[in-house]
Amino acid sequence: MRNEAWIWLPVAAVSTSVYAKTYFTVEQAQQAIFPGAKMTQAFVKLTDAQVKEIERRTGVNVRFDEIRLWKVADGGYFVVDEVVGKHEFITYALGLNADGSVKQIEIMDYRESYGYQVRNADWRAQFTGKTAASTLKLEGDIRNISGATLSCRHIVDGVKRVLATYDIAVK
Amino acid sequence: MQRKGMASWRGVVATVGFALIGASTAYAEESQFAYVYTTDLLPKGAKEVEQWATWRHGRSQGDFDVLEGRTEVEYGVTDKFQAALYANYAWARTYHNNVDGTTAPPESFAEAFPGADDKFVDSKFVGVSLEGIYRVLSPYTDPVGLAIYLEPTVGKDLWEMETRLILQKNFLDDRLITSFNVTVGQEARRLPADPSAAPGDVEAAEHWDHETDVNFGFAASYRFVSNWSVGAEFLNEREFSSFAIKSDTRTNVAWYFGPTVHYGGKDFFVTATFLAQLKGAKDYANSGPDSFVVNGISNADDFEKYRLRIKAGIYF
Repeated sequence: MRNEAWIWLPVAAVSTSVYAKTYFTVEQAQQAIFPGAKMTQAFVKLTDAQVKEIERRTGVNVRFDEIRLWKVADGGYFVVDEVVGKHEFITYALGLNADGSVKQIEIMDYRESYGYQVRNADWRAQFTGKTAASTLKLEGDIRNISGATLSCRHIVDGVKRVLATYDIAVK
Repeated sequence: MQRKGMASWRGVVATVGFALIGASTAYAEESQFAYVYTTDLLPKGAKEVEQWATWRHGRSQGDFDVLEGRTEVEYGVTDKFQAALYANYAWARTYHNNVDGTTAPPESFAEAFPGADDKFVDSKFVGVSLEGIYRVLSPYTDPVGLAIYLEPTVGKDLWEMETRLILQKNFLDDRLITSFNVTVGQEARRLPADPSAAPGDVEAAEHWDHETDVNFGFAASYRFVSNWSVGAEFLNEREFSSFAIKSDTRTNVAWYFGPTVHYGGKDFFVTATFLAQLKGAKDYANSGPDSFVVNGISNADDFEKYRLRIKAGIYF
């Protein structure tokens, strides 16, 4: 008798994971951050010199040279940005006050298997009031979430890059 | 006999595997590589089930096939410490695979003594392993990731302790992952008397055989599109014939290299690595026609021409 059946020990489970999720469309994020405000699309194409300056100031790679930006009628800006997640991109929205400080951020798409704590309101609230002059460093002025470190770090880097982009190419 | 009671063992392993698959959690972590470990661990409270299958194939002569399976359950004890439980099992088929043209079993079946012209076919439950990985530094917040790994294994007539140092460095927004491992594995096997051993030899009577493996591994992979990474793994494996790592106890050295591909998604991951043994193997214990090295590659009992390992994990 042989025991080849060992080899067929299966992992035969059907995953029921449904954690990937779109939390906000662009319009929903706009209303969440600037309720009732009128906005005008004003996408910005960065020059090579601007890209280099943003990367020099922040130490963060600029993956896309087109900035998805809207002007808010009574001042301020709305930006949709993407950062690298564990498996896919994390899409988030950033609202800027008229003075260029962060009003609010919202996670729009999160397609990872874990790290969903980045959606927690108290973690996102740490960004409120940050400007291009802020340090914006994970485990510095932004608290890390254990178990979601990769997502936290990339969102912190993304906000830092967007604020530098505002300072260099928008205001 | 070795295989007596295997049916009940199979039932236990299958039952545990299916029971754990049926548990529920929202977290998972994945193996980026099939052989080299990274410092990425499960978050606190998270669980995962992984299935490994390793096919070891080919010698310089004869037939040699080994299939090794591992069913693993991982648990995040804290955000920096992950524990795991493995069930290990294997199947082997060899024929005229020795350098002298005789049939010999692979290392995991070292207690068997097939006849020189026998076709050796067998399977066994190898044992149970515990694994603990503690992350000292994170590649996401520190200049380099650093983790310490311990894996004791207990089986019938087998004791093994594997210790590993893991270094990880990421580049390009963490899309390029590199990792380096140094592994020391010490194993003791109780072997029956070898009927072909000369009277008075240690092998002529039942004895505990001691061995130390010192392995170096390096791997890199790049996430070229969402979810998909490709790269390569490189292994250098060194064996010593006792628990002492000294020049006069070293026996075999072999080198492996090959491609790796990884898919990681929200529901599951799959990682596959194919390795081919490179020329440059050494046999320090035997020379001339007794040497395990043929045309530059090792044919010692724990080495073969090709390896294919597939790991799959399910998030549940």
